[in-house]
Amino acid sequence: MAPFVYSTLIISLGLGTAMTFASTHWYLAWMGIEINTLAIIPLMTQNHNPRAIEATTKYFFAQATASATLLFAAVSNAFLTGGWDILQINHPLTSTLTTLALAMKIGLAPLHSWMPEVMQGLSLLTGLILSTWQKLAPFCLIYQIQPDNPNVFITLGLLSVIVGGWGGFNQVQLRKILAYSSIAHLGWMILILPFSPPLTLLTLFTYLMMTFSLFSSFMLVRTTHINSLSISWAKIPTLTASVPLILLSLGGLPPLTGFLPKWLILQELTKQDLAPIATLAALSSLFSLYFYLRLSYTMTLTMPPNNPAGTLPWRLNPQHNTLPLALTTTTTIFLLPATPTILALFTF
Amino acid sequence: MTPAHFAFSSAFMLGLAGLAFHRTHFLSALLCLEGLMLSLFIALSLWALQFDTMNSAALPMILLAFSACEAGAGLALLVATTRTHSNNRLQNLSLLQC
Repeated sequence: MAPFVYSTLIISLGLGTAMTFASTHWYLAWMGIEINTLAIIPLMTQNHNPRAIEATTKYFFAQATASATLLFAAVSNAFLTGGWDILQINHPLTSTLTTLALAMKIGLAPLHSWMPEVMQGLSLLTGLILSTWQKLAPFCLIYQIQPDNPNVFITLGLLSVIVGGWGGFNQVQLRKILAYSSIAHLGWMILILPFSPPLTLLTLFTYLMMTFSLFSSFMLVRTTHINSLSISWAKIPTLTASVPLILLSLGGLPPLTGFLPKWLILQELTKQDLAPIATLAALSSLFSLYFYLRLSYTMTLTMPPNNPAGTLPWRLNPQHNTLPLALTTTTTIFLLPATPTILALFTF
Repeated sequence: MTPAHFAFSSAFMLGLAGLAFHRTHFLSALLCLEGLMLSLFIALSLWALQFDTMNSAALPMILLAFSACEAGAGLALLVATTRTHSNNRLQNLSLLQC
């Protein structure tokens, strides 16, 4: 792709999200989301192979339907209540419709089925953009709708946590596993949204860090299948040691950053007298932990037969820029002791 | 619910049902999407007419521009899919399932 076209697309991607962030009017927010969708489509198809085209098609249909439904909900709200303000979406029908449309945009459970297939067809870099940057604009909107009735959010969240764990169970494709892990994390965020919005932001922040570091590690060792993880030690031994920690952090094990949001969310749910839901969510995240553990097992504890020449590449310097990876990996692993500071930062 | 609201809501719902349940050809899905957009166009025009505000008079035109862009992207994807999957049936898009 020509550099000029590429930079235009990247700038439009940023512009769309920035527009949605800055808007108070539903129409402007919708325009931002639409620009975002239209800008990523050429980025997805830049490797012109059947899988990429198919993934783009599926993404296009899901996103176009979701954004049309979003605008429909906004117009209906304008007809019913007379206002276009994002914060003013009070009518129960339109607020539910908006929630569902945004859930389809970010890929929450009953509307998630496009997400793993789209992820499977893309390159790791585009997949990274899809699962981090593309979530921000819809999330900004979903954060601003606060309905009186939290049941929709609880249902979406619990279903996402369960489906995200269950779906990734039998997968061997890394990108599908990443998509399911993204669904499960979004489920946690939505689950806590009606009760404590700052915790949602905190979960989103840690999710972005963890996903970024995991995707960049996989980009560095250039693997998309669970088999080829086991030879990554021959390429970059240090990374092989730290990726299991990133994976366990995604799974939410105690001394790592991933435990922080899960802990606070479970605490908050228990405070709201929702202990059964908290238990169900905690138990469902064990499924996710299972496939993270399987990835870490394949990566560190198996050693396939390898000849001495095959172990050479670790002596060479990697060609990528590894500074962002180093920063986010550190954040992913060591942030738990800073919990009070982070909480103070997000609860303002 | 006013008659205008009912009219564009039912148009939108019919388009959505078509998109969800009539899944044979790519082109028919694109047409359903276009139908959704046109019902939204009617809705925005009615809103602008009903309240006579200058601000919202431009909204239907912007919507048309966006839906034209979206339809262009959809048709480009139609061509790309036809080239890679050899016909335009949505049934054929099954490479990524496993």
